Amino acid sequence: MNLKLDNIPTQKDESWKYTNLSRALGDLKHIKPQAPCEMLIYKKRGQNGGKAEEISWIAGAGEHQNPRLKIILEDNAELTVIETHEGAGAYWKNMSTEIIIGKNARLNHIRIQNDSYDAVHTNMVHITMERDSYLNSFSLNMGAKLTRHDIHIVLNGENIECNLNGVNLLGGDQHSDTTIVMEHVAPNSRSNQLYRTILKDAARCVFQGKILVQGKAQKTEAHQLSNAIMLSDKCEMDTKPELEIYADDVKCSHGATCSQLDEDPLFYMRSRGIGANQARELLMQAFIDEVIDNVSRETLREQIKAKAKLWLKT
Amino acid sequence: MINIKDLHVSVQSDSGAKEIIKGLNLYIKAGEVHAIMGPNGAGKSTLSYTLAGRAGYEVTSGSAMLNGADLLELKPEERAALGLFLAFQYPVEIPGVNMSMFLKTAINAIRKRRGEDELDALGMLKLMKAKTKELGISDDMMKRAVNVGCSGGEKKRNEALQMAMLDPKFCILDETDSGLDIDALKVVADGVNKLRSPDKSFLVITHYQRLLDYIKPDIVHIMADGRIIKTGGAELAFELEDKGYADFVADFAKDDAA
Repeated sequence: MNLKLDNIPTQKDESWKYTNLSRALGDLKHIKPQAPCEMLIYKKRGQNGGKAEEISWIAGAGEHQNPRLKIILEDNAELTVIETHEGAGAYWKNMSTEIIIGKNARLNHIRIQNDSYDAVHTNMVHITMERDSYLNSFSLNMGAKLTRHDIHIVLNGENIECNLNGVNLLGGDQHSDTTIVMEHVAPNSRSNQLYRTILKDAARCVFQGKILVQGKAQKTEAHQLSNAIMLSDKCEMDTKPELEIYADDVKCSHGATCSQLDEDPLFYMRSRGIGANQARELLMQAFIDEVIDNVSRETLREQIKAKAKLWLKT
Repeated sequence: MINIKDLHVSVQSDSGAKEIIKGLNLYIKAGEVHAIMGPNGAGKSTLSYTLAGRAGYEVTSGSAMLNGADLLELKPEERAALGLFLAFQYPVEIPGVNMSMFLKTAINAIRKRRGEDELDALGMLKLMKAKTKELGISDDMMKRAVNVGCSGGEKKRNEALQMAMLDPKFCILDETDSGLDIDALKVVADGVNKLRSPDKSFLVITHYQRLLDYIKPDIVHIMADGRIIKTGGAELAFELEDKGYADFVADFAKDDAA
């Protein structure tokens, strides 16, 4: 069965989230949808994760995968999940992720998306967090021709801490889109979004993050920041930070920057004998390291840094 | 050591290219300390940036040689390897790059360019310990990102540390005294004085005579409107402090006209 592209709505249809998907999928007309592949990670009440759960999703040319990942942490459970994505050729990985974090449970979620340059990667994420729970999420996006990451988080209780960190490294004609709705429902919770992007060639990145604070969610502390470095004249960064606040006693911030590599530190480093290319690499590495440093496991942190370093050198 | 001949430098502004340095001559022998004093807008910082190779400063004519090498032909990092060091008036913050890593990278980049072996971790640590102690810089500071969140005094101390560790031949101190209290000034000046040796030269750029109490110059130049208008011994700085720049500029204009 081939995909019927005509059925996918166009950009004009606002309610459809996958704008431009039909265009992107144009090259993938002959892919064959596969049955959903499910993965359930379930931690019982009070279960301590111990070893990290490692999930690797690999796709091959012509495939249309529909992986479903469900992570359920019961009250007081603790877990680290490391999710990696790879593949070869043109394929569509259409993923859905559901995460439920119980009371006082803690989840570290690390995601390395290094899909093939001809692939389309879409991921719809729903996260629900209960009171006193903790989420530290890090996502490295460097693969796929088109990535669309929709994240909807509901902070359902008090004293929740939710950190979303992301690094996008894009080149060629890659397009990556991260859309976040961070919804504070109950009072006294904290959320933080930090995304850093480096773009070269004709790559394009979209960051639209919304912090939604409901009327009952007093004393919320919610922050959001997206910084981008643009290395070429042809790349494009679109940012749309949004705050929607119905409570009257909150601390919220949002910010976005897009710029070239700063000339002043570059000259300063060169004047100390560091070659121009090395100085540029150091500055970019430092720029994304500040996000990667939020990854809790040291060995993994170093692996991610090494991966990023390799990308910076090319 | 350094020989600058009839240097003309322009910078781009909104109203087109503007000439800032208008035929500057300067010769500094090895081991000497020269001071350049001058009012705002004289072209002092333009001179230091031009010598260090910052983009946006166009040399329209003239030459600048360091130990026989044509500086103006070289990239900033090549000038550093030759032994040129600019202590910035406003040291730049580099978020995310810590001081010790920055120094290691710089030292090894310079050594590599000079055809020397890279310094190993132990050698680097020893050198760093010795120099930070001399300048009263804490270990904690070395772990912090370069100049980020530092006070004016700490930044200038960092500059002195870099100068000591990179072991340059010709140092330009661009208004090192600006933003410094008297204690920090003494520390930085001590650091510079320790480096004075027969094979090193210094160019100290300043508004005020105060810095020259601590770093004694051999020769003082007065710069105005892109040129050096008077040269003398250390006493010239005191004379300047008494009379102000206006008199010198007026004298020069008279001579120039005649």
